[in-house]
Amino acid sequence: MPKFKKKRVGISLDMTPLVDIAFLLLTFFMLTTKFKPVEEAQIVLPESHAKYKIPESDVMTITFSTDGKLYLGLDSQQLRAQLFGEQNKLKPAIPISIEELIPLAQQARSANPKLRTVIRGDKDSMYGPAEDVMNALQKANIARFELVTEMDRKD
Amino acid sequence: MGAVDIGGGRQHGKKGKKKKRRIGIRLDMTPLVDIAFLLLTFFMLTTTFSLPQVMEITLPPSETKSEVTESSLLLLRLMENGTIFWNMGTEAPRALEQNTLRAFLKERINTNPNMITLVKVDRKSKYSNMVKIIDELHLANITRYSLAPLLEPDKKIVEDAGKS
Repeated sequence: MPKFKKKRVGISLDMTPLVDIAFLLLTFFMLTTKFKPVEEAQIVLPESHAKYKIPESDVMTITFSTDGKLYLGLDSQQLRAQLFGEQNKLKPAIPISIEELIPLAQQARSANPKLRTVIRGDKDSMYGPAEDVMNALQKANIARFELVTEMDRKD
Repeated sequence: MGAVDIGGGRQHGKKGKKKKRRIGIRLDMTPLVDIAFLLLTFFMLTTTFSLPQVMEITLPPSETKSEVTESSLLLLRLMENGTIFWNMGTEAPRALEQNTLRAFLKERINTNPNMITLVKVDRKSKYSNMVKIIDELHLANITRYSLAPLLEPDKKIVEDAGKS
């Protein structure tokens, strides 16, 4: 510390509480941050006013991208190993064809009856693939499903 | 700034004087605090607490055929270019502006609470347009609706209605 002139009052600021809080927040954010899983396809979600949040577990995600590719994702590693084989256990989503969707969806449903079906479609995609997916789901006796959207903040 | 004083400082007054031999360790905490704040800002800015929203759709099972009286059936046709045509029962389809859709649906459901809506969507239409319509149906509290493909005859009907 430099020597102060005698008339000046030395200000010594105790930084400890500040640093404590900073570290507390830091730990909190570090622990709560969940990085987005790597996705096979870049999806821009359409917007809606739906107020329900996506369920955190027991989700089967059907993704279709603008180029018409279809991916089936499951959040449980165990179920993925069962459906796609042990070697694909760690992949979050597997590219599939529309014909494969019906038997796979049925298998997944019978393995976990609580499974919820969500469809993630790119907003610039055509409706065609969405229609195919919905028809396939109807054939697989899944009448209830959810479309993943982004919050519409415009109106 | 941010320095930790671990005892032994000379300016500690009378109490410190007894332990003159100890060397005062002064740790400069500034870089540590800098990095801590840097990380803190990073995590604060990258964290998104919001999960994506989901819109629930329940389609009637494919086997069931429900009888609907023609007069209470609202048919919405979403064309390839994103325009919407509507008609009740056997009327000729009329074009509908996207931004008036919400008011229109509210008025319809108020005049006829038993209304059943059928949305026919062209395969080449945009997916976001379809999501938009379903969203508006939800906003207008219309729960009885179904989706159907838009077939060639539908296109013809709309074209004919446009001409006359």
